[in-house]
Amino acid sequence: MAALLEVDGMTKAFGGLVAVSGMSLSVSPGEVLGLIGPNGSGKTTLLNLIAGAIRPDAGRIRMDGEDVTRLPNHQRVRRRINRTFQLVRMPPNMPAIVGVMAGVMYGAEPLRYKDAEYEAAGILGELNLLLKAGHRLDQLTYIEQKRVELARALATRPRVLLLDEWLSGLSPGELEGGMSVVWSLAAQGIAVILVEHVMTAVRALCGRVVVMNAGLKIAEGPPGEVLRNPEVIRAYLGDDDA
Amino acid sequence: MRAALAVAALVVLVAALAAVPWLVSDYGLGFMINLMCYLVLTVAWALFSGTTRYVSLATAAFFGVGAYSVAMLVKVMPIYATFGVALVLGTLMALLVGLVTLRISGMFFVIFGFGLSELMRELLVWWEINQTHTMGRYVFVPFDTTLIYEHLLGLAVLVFLVGWLLRRSRLGVALLVIGDDETMARQAGINVPLTKVMIFVVSSVFMTVVGAVMAPRFGYLSPEFAFNPLISFTVVIMALLGGMQRLWGPVLGVVPLAVLSELLQVRFPFWYSVLLGLVFMVIVYFLPRGVTGLVEDAWALLRRPIAMPRGVTGPFIDAWAWLSQPVLLPRGIAGAVEDTWARLTRRQPERR
Repeated sequence: MAALLEVDGMTKAFGGLVAVSGMSLSVSPGEVLGLIGPNGSGKTTLLNLIAGAIRPDAGRIRMDGEDVTRLPNHQRVRRRINRTFQLVRMPPNMPAIVGVMAGVMYGAEPLRYKDAEYEAAGILGELNLLLKAGHRLDQLTYIEQKRVELARALATRPRVLLLDEWLSGLSPGELEGGMSVVWSLAAQGIAVILVEHVMTAVRALCGRVVVMNAGLKIAEGPPGEVLRNPEVIRAYLGDDDA
Repeated sequence: MRAALAVAALVVLVAALAAVPWLVSDYGLGFMINLMCYLVLTVAWALFSGTTRYVSLATAAFFGVGAYSVAMLVKVMPIYATFGVALVLGTLMALLVGLVTLRISGMFFVIFGFGLSELMRELLVWWEINQTHTMGRYVFVPFDTTLIYEHLLGLAVLVFLVGWLLRRSRLGVALLVIGDDETMARQAGINVPLTKVMIFVVSSVFMTVVGAVMAPRFGYLSPEFAFNPLISFTVVIMALLGGMQRLWGPVLGVVPLAVLSELLQVRFPFWYSVLLGLVFMVIVYFLPRGVTGLVEDAWALLRRPIAMPRGVTGPFIDAWAWLSQPVLLPRGIAGAVEDTWARLTRRQPERR
């Protein structure tokens, strides 16, 4: 299948530190692409670059054939690229549904105010959160917060979804639920990029994995194969004599 | 049904307010004009600052532009035309200022707003001295206090209507979300800078038109008077006192402070500013959520079901338990003897 999102030669330096260097990857509709690597390897920076939160020093991003490299954050949302954050970002002082309504009204398929509440409630319902719609963020459990944030992202009708450690910090039971959510997203034809440290989830969900270390891509392929790659093992665990 | 009642009550309220000029003395009308002026300014301020959490001290700048454009133009065109010019100028200035400044945040924006009104004043002073050779302008037009009051009332109705509609709109939700978390707002697809500029323009245009309508009230206007920074500060304090979580919040701040400042000005003309400053400090320290917070707390307290977890019989059970408890000798005579014995034989702490 043709790639939906193509990232080519992404480079970003913060001062002297090159966080992401010449990264290229692509993802197709319905695919779950794993993006893994040790802490500080540049995964989140790459996600920020794709989402449009920061501008690259070099490289191109094409979404569905259109060059979106120079588009600001909110316009990429309307071009159907959305994300969740490593630390949940939802408005802390208002009911959970308001953030989802914002997504519904300003996303790729914007609705009017009248219809937004109904639609947002439907999206929360799909994630088993309908009864929490009126709760503030701090009244929700950790997993509920993560799901509310996902609801906000889904409200904008994304075709590419970037999940930044969305499955981390969950109990085994919760992890299973979270994985089935990711699965159903892919089944709907959404291209998912999964930044994750939970290897059970990566092995189960991803058909293909990209491994980053120090801003560079060091391996790419099916998870079983990649995780046996000596260079990947060295990146995670260090050299034998280290 | 409830909505219809609420609308009817509001219509009656506005009608009663509209009748005020024929019911009160000249002094009373002057006070009501002052109150209405600050009401519109404060609600307009809260439209922008209450949602985006940018503290704006630019109120005086826009008020001044409105007032001074009327003062400069009223001799060459009809008064309503000067209002129109003020509106256009206010819009342009708000657009310019919004586009330039809404990327800077927090304290810098506060200072900028204050600086803007000072800059406008100095520019006008320079212009008047070097170009027009006048200092101060008289605004003598057939636009009496009753007309001024009715126009301000109209603006008040309009600003509340705008605020009410805003809370039920896409733009309103976008503003709420921006105020809480800008990064998330962008990720919901909201064009954050554009949204901020839009609400800044709406808010500033109201301030400008209030200034324009107030110009005939002053009769004589100099740049110092039109761009008085006290206006900006008073509006902030009134909004803080009222609280901004509700649209009607500012009313609860404007009315008491307008009354208070009137009283202080009459009783203590020389200590007026000092006393008002003290009041401001007390408000900021003790009422962080404003009067609205107090009202909401009281409302919640009133609506709370009366505590009777053990039902009606609870108090009787308590009374019985209290009555049946041996008051004087809880452990009987034997207990009393034991206690006395223990007290007598208690060893004194050794001294060294």
